[in-house]
Amino acid sequence: MWNKSFGVWVCVALAISSVLFALLATNGYYASLLVWILTNAVLASALRFVLQIGELNIATAAFFGIGAYTTATTAVLLGWPFWLTLLLAPLMAAVLSALFGWVTLRTKGPYFLLVSFAVTEVIRLIYTQTNVIGGNSGLVGMFPPMAIDAYYPALAIALLAATLFALYGFERSDLGRLFKAIENNDAIPRSVGLNVVFLKVLCVVIASAAVGLAGGIHAYANTVIAPSDFAYFVAVLALAYVKIGGEGHPFGPILGAAVLTLVGQWVAGISAWENIFYGAVIVMTLRVFPGGLVGLAERARGLVTRSAR
Amino acid sequence: MELFVQLLANTLQIGAVYVLFALGLTLIFGVMKIVNFAHGAFFTAAALIVTSMVPFATVELGVPLWAGYLLAAFAAIAVVLSIGALVYSIGFQHVLKDLNGSFILSIGLLLILNGAYLAIYGGAPRSVPQVLPGTVNVFGATLTAQRLALVIVAAVVTGGLYLLIERTRLGLALRAVAMDQEAAMLQGIPYRRVALYGFLIGAALAACAGVLMAPINAVTPVSGDEFLIKAFIIIIIGGLGSVTGAIIGGLFIAMVESVGGYFFDPSTATLAMFILVIGFLLVRPQGILGNVE
Repeated sequence: MWNKSFGVWVCVALAISSVLFALLATNGYYASLLVWILTNAVLASALRFVLQIGELNIATAAFFGIGAYTTATTAVLLGWPFWLTLLLAPLMAAVLSALFGWVTLRTKGPYFLLVSFAVTEVIRLIYTQTNVIGGNSGLVGMFPPMAIDAYYPALAIALLAATLFALYGFERSDLGRLFKAIENNDAIPRSVGLNVVFLKVLCVVIASAAVGLAGGIHAYANTVIAPSDFAYFVAVLALAYVKIGGEGHPFGPILGAAVLTLVGQWVAGISAWENIFYGAVIVMTLRVFPGGLVGLAERARGLVTRSAR
Repeated sequence: MELFVQLLANTLQIGAVYVLFALGLTLIFGVMKIVNFAHGAFFTAAALIVTSMVPFATVELGVPLWAGYLLAAFAAIAVVLSIGALVYSIGFQHVLKDLNGSFILSIGLLLILNGAYLAIYGGAPRSVPQVLPGTVNVFGATLTAQRLALVIVAAVVTGGLYLLIERTRLGLALRAVAMDQEAAMLQGIPYRRVALYGFLIGAALAACAGVLMAPINAVTPVSGDEFLIKAFIIIIIGGLGSVTGAIIGGLFIAMVESVGGYFFDPSTATLAMFILVIGFLLVRPQGILGNVE
């Protein structure tokens, strides 16, 4: 019974019940917490998506910010309609990430890591220096239209869950196999005539469109955005979700995001100790169970099936 | 002419600290093939210790300011070396040559250390009284004595490091490991020990930068992190793992910053720096002195 499609159906059921929960919940706090968990899950899954080609893309944080700022700018400053502002977020992230990828994906490994880090911080600097979009204090007042407002968390959850399924679909497709082939040895796909740089850029564009949409959704969900929300640290947390949930499985980052976001709610507000807590969790996970929670579960299942025989 | 000298002096002041900071980062990369995001934490630790040791030494022990500062400098470097040895044994020795693993590990350590600094020292900026008061006139450019001393000390430390790497057995081992770890091990070089020494030298360089900056800029628990992004740009330009590259890159970035900051404003200078890096990557992805794998 436990096969791949069973897992997918469990996830579909989870997604539908989350949407229903958000529709029926009387307490807005839990619905928005669920939106936040799924936003983090998309960030983590997108980061893992680029890890498929073997690159650690810190600029995931930047494209999350670009999505959020695109939606917020067009909604607040230009007063464009809701759906258009939400649609522009992934488009803008995709276009800019294509440019970013075209320049930076000539490098790899440590160079790409450092360049994507620098890009993220510089884009954040640009926000703080641009007075039109609120400088350091950012933008305020992104509200969904009245008709949608009450259902917004449910809509956000549905869109974010669909994004997660889309990323999973890409990973399982032939394109996903090509990405893995590039990670293993990019000379081999090149030797059969594939344009490796193009494929790498495509991988980054897909992931960036996903986080761009998450950014747009975040802008409306939070109604306030500021440059400091999109520092490189967003990508660091996303990587923590990936590592703690388990890198080897598509569900890993989602599980990691859920667990750490919930625990984060509990430690939030005790600033110095919040840092120490996250740091300790990351270091402990790496040292004690490198496969993350999913790896741990798989090991446990291995033990059970072996003892059943 | 006077303007030129003044800008050159500014470049050297800013560049001195950048070079020390980036040298440590690039040395650690060369030997361990990891990027240490916690490098700023070494800088911050040293600077914070100086801010608390100097008042302690001058008030409680009654020594003069310069002696208190020297005492604090030694204490700071000693503490940073112990922190370095601790984080190496807890974490880094398990992620040698693992880029993603070391990235997340160093971020975890950075969080713990920054949290600890915040818990111990609080978030308010801390400062040290001027150790060397007065200004010096060099070829028409005005420099505070303190900054001149910073440039001289940084130059001496950099020169010392250069000699260490080029002239000593340890330096030879460090270079051999950076070039090809397996071949070095086949020659009987104890890789793990050499990696530890490389890591500690890198940490000590960041500590030196922190000690030198403490009397000049106010220190907060995140001071070191501000240098990190600049240091990354420097080693991208200079070539990861290249000592000469870090020196050239550090001075180059300092020049862009001081000249750009003079004619335009600091944020324009930062953007200019970034555009230069992008241009650089298009032409020479491996940096000025980097090697292609």
